[in-house]
Amino acid sequence: MRNKISNYLNNGDLKRFRFWLQLSLFIFFVYGGYIAINIGDSLPTFSCTYVDGKPGTCFLVPLQHRMVTTPEKLFSYAGTAILTGLFYFTLWFLVFNKAWCGYACPLGAVQDWITALRKKIGMPYATYSWGQFKLLKKIKYILLLLLIFIPMGIGSGIFSHDMGVPFCMICPARTILPIFSGDFSQLTIDFSSKTKMIMTSLGMLITGIFLVGAFVKKRFFCFFCPMSALHYLLSKPAFLKLKKDGSKCTKCGDCYSVCDMQIKEIADNITDRNILQDDCIMCFKCVAACPEDGALEVDFMGQPIFEATVQGYIKRMEKANKNG
Amino acid sequence: MNCFAGIDIGSTAIKVTLIDEDKNIIATRVTSTGSHFRKNSIAALHGLLADNGLTVDDLAYMVSTGYGRKLLKEADESVSEITANAIGALEAGRKYGEIRTIINIGGQDTKAIQIDSSGTVTNFAMNDKCAAGTGKFLDVTARNLEIELEELGDYHFNLETAPLPINSTCVVFAESEIIGLLADGHGKEEIVAGIHYSIAKRTIRLAKRIGLEGLVYFDGGPALNKGLVASMEDELGKKLVIPEFPQLTTALGASVLAYEAYLDEMETA
Amino acid sequence: MDNQLQAEKKNVPFNRTHQAIEAERMLRRIKDGFQDNPVAMDYFYDLYEQVYCKGESLHKDEKVIGTMCVQVPDELIYAAGGIPVRLCNGFYTDDQVGAEFMPAKSCSLVKATLGMLDKRSTLSFVDKVENIILPATCDQKRKAGSMISEMGYEVYNMEVPPVKESEEARLYWQRSVHNFAVSLKKITGQKITKANLKEALAKVAAAQKAYRTLHNLRKMAPSIFLGKDAFMVTNAYFFDKIENWTEAVNKLNAELEQRITEKITAAQRRAPRLLFTGSPAIFPNLKLPVLIEESGGVIVADETCSSSRMLYDMVAVDEYNTENMVASIADNYLKPCTCPIFTKNDDRKRKLINMARDFAVDGVVYQAFSGCQVYQMEHSSIAKALKAEGAPMLFVESDYSPDDMGQLSTRIEAFIESLKAKRRRKR
Repeated sequence: MRNKISNYLNNGDLKRFRFWLQLSLFIFFVYGGYIAINIGDSLPTFSCTYVDGKPGTCFLVPLQHRMVTTPEKLFSYAGTAILTGLFYFTLWFLVFNKAWCGYACPLGAVQDWITALRKKIGMPYATYSWGQFKLLKKIKYILLLLLIFIPMGIGSGIFSHDMGVPFCMICPARTILPIFSGDFSQLTIDFSSKTKMIMTSLGMLITGIFLVGAFVKKRFFCFFCPMSALHYLLSKPAFLKLKKDGSKCTKCGDCYSVCDMQIKEIADNITDRNILQDDCIMCFKCVAACPEDGALEVDFMGQPIFEATVQGYIKRMEKANKNG
Repeated sequence: MNCFAGIDIGSTAIKVTLIDEDKNIIATRVTSTGSHFRKNSIAALHGLLADNGLTVDDLAYMVSTGYGRKLLKEADESVSEITANAIGALEAGRKYGEIRTIINIGGQDTKAIQIDSSGTVTNFAMNDKCAAGTGKFLDVTARNLEIELEELGDYHFNLETAPLPINSTCVVFAESEIIGLLADGHGKEEIVAGIHYSIAKRTIRLAKRIGLEGLVYFDGGPALNKGLVASMEDELGKKLVIPEFPQLTTALGASVLAYEAYLDEMETA
Repeated sequence: MDNQLQAEKKNVPFNRTHQAIEAERMLRRIKDGFQDNPVAMDYFYDLYEQVYCKGESLHKDEKVIGTMCVQVPDELIYAAGGIPVRLCNGFYTDDQVGAEFMPAKSCSLVKATLGMLDKRSTLSFVDKVENIILPATCDQKRKAGSMISEMGYEVYNMEVPPVKESEEARLYWQRSVHNFAVSLKKITGQKITKANLKEALAKVAAAQKAYRTLHNLRKMAPSIFLGKDAFMVTNAYFFDKIENWTEAVNKLNAELEQRITEKITAAQRRAPRLLFTGSPAIFPNLKLPVLIEESGGVIVADETCSSSRMLYDMVAVDEYNTENMVASIADNYLKPCTCPIFTKNDDRKRKLINMARDFAVDGVVYQAFSGCQVYQMEHSSIAKALKAEGAPMLFVESDYSPDDMGQLSTRIEAFIESLKAKRRRKR
């Protein structure tokens, strides 16, 4: 019986499963609030506060708000609020690890749909060179640090309050996600103050870059996402894990070929068991594309729920060749 | 009374060993292979049996080895000479201690065999593509110096100066080199010792490939040559175990395997 | 010129040429020297008879493109409308021809291939080959390129990086494959498009699927399929029509599955299981695998470029547009390649250790041709790694000449005897 279930799962059509799950979760995170769902403000995904029908809020919003404080207050009651938020955030996050990115994030879904559009018109995708990759991957950590320290700077009077939620002002989720409820109001430049003008102009610029970038590169924004950086820092004890058995790896590079994030370690690292990297969005395309039994697998609390098998690989590749 | 036979059919000589149920040697025989090795093997076996008051009916099992092993249909089984040599060395070398390495210089080949405590071959190296370093070299030397093979040892020990380095790597070309050295006025002793060292160096080099651990057992016809043994020990840096009848070790091994195969058959029957 | 005519010109019918006699001899040994050959193997035995003994041509009116070495991406050749045929030759007859102009200590495979190309008349399975794709792999294959051009063939040199781990190497090879894909149009006159590349990928994937099934069936203990037949099957992939080959292998797989249920085995239950690796065994130079199985062993797995390395690794494509498909194909032909021409042999060590475990082998036989520097220099580190895993390894140096049978049989038998003894002592 157990074998039957694992066979069924391992032979599964990951593409189809992912499409439907992403669509469902997108609907939940953009319209869920309309049926009064409220799951709090410590969510580990871009459930954007500017979206009218949101069922909860992205943790980066309260984080930026609460960091607008002075160092003295930070080490007393203000700090408690942050820690509490971080605690709930961690609980949400630990269950699904970075699969929040690959399956739940509405901004991620938007990027995947833009990619589908590009595929339909037959255009090939772009990739970063190794030098570009190494340089650009640091940006998400810089953004994470900025969204913590700029609010602190506001609290200490260095920056104006108009800097408010600095990351949200440049985040493309703010401008793009509300469009799905017919709200185009975020697509403006706010001339009410110099700071607001600069930040919203930056936001519009980044929206533009986002649209072009997501069109030519798979999951363009995820490479720079500070949420992704925060995820990775907490990912060690998570329940959902991406595991590799290096002894079974033939270095065929199939996993690397399909990886949206251009992660080399998945193919080249044959010593580490926990193969999760900071850029990984846990879409599991790598596991689906691996033709060696047991080389890659997805574990939930130590139990494998989706393993690479040659049978599953063949099934999926044959289907992809027919439909692709 | 049951006896067990091992026949080692070499390119130059046929060796036969008969043992009894206590693995004691009843008798042995060495004859030349000639051109009809099958006929000669059977003749040697029957002659050996008859001379010891035995008939073919007393022969419970026979194992053939050596290059002609597969064609001797009268044998019950054939094994490679490497396996047979290993078992033979283990048996014959028991009174000297635990044999771990075997060096065999045959008429036309050289072998180095590494075994474990039960006689199982764990590694081996062979030179069977070229006659340099084999018994052939000694034959050619003796012939060119017009002395007997058995005298080579004496000539080696009668040497008062240093052995001559022999440069030729090929036995055929070494012939001309020897003739040249004689003409230059060098003595037979120098040349003999030089040939011995040449063979020793080559053989130890081959043996080093498989590791020279523990007690080293040296067999094959040329092991009777005490001069060669001295140069081998010199090159090796330690003493070699030399059996009483070195050219019979492989045949002995084959007969022990015959005995064990017979026991196996009786068990499963 | 039609090879039947060529042979008749010399008043020698094709099946009486030296080459045909050599093929026939080995074919007899493989067929008649063993009992209970699977019925599905008749397809392959007949194929060899047709092609090597009778000189019939297989790919009339097709654009045949000769390849040398396993790094050439077959999918691209199929997409461009060509038929890739691997030219690596196993004939002693052709080895002797090559020996006339090659250095004495050269690799027999290269000598034989050059001998065959020089003679031309024995290219029975390819009619006329005009274009030959030669990746820059080992020294001897590389230098053979200019010799082959001088014989009048169009040689396309594919650039292969000597190191495969670095990102630079990966990009270099992708560029090389891209250029090859572009050049193919000039050779075949047909451009590679999304549609024909998809079809080519599907064709090769079907063959690989069939092979993978066969590969896994060989894990059975006791063994249900002999190594000599496995080599016959994979060597046929060199030159057979890929659809026919795939169908024949699928039939073979079905028959082997049947054998499992009927409990028919191919070798004795306690026959030592061996992994064969090293310089490729190519028909009719299958003397070492055949000798091993005649001596009571059974080859359950192999890691050579005339067998598993050709067919094992499968391509994964993320997006079906020409550029990305070609890039995925390129990666797949470089990254997992365990050919010893690459500077590091870690992947080969791991693969061999893995196979030794998966197939429960008792020992490994490592063949290296005389003159093959890469395999010869590597064997001791491989032996050490395998020994640590508890798999003893026998290193055998050999070439195409038929006169070393006695020496080979002594070594093989000694090795098999030691494996049997080892197992007996364990009891």
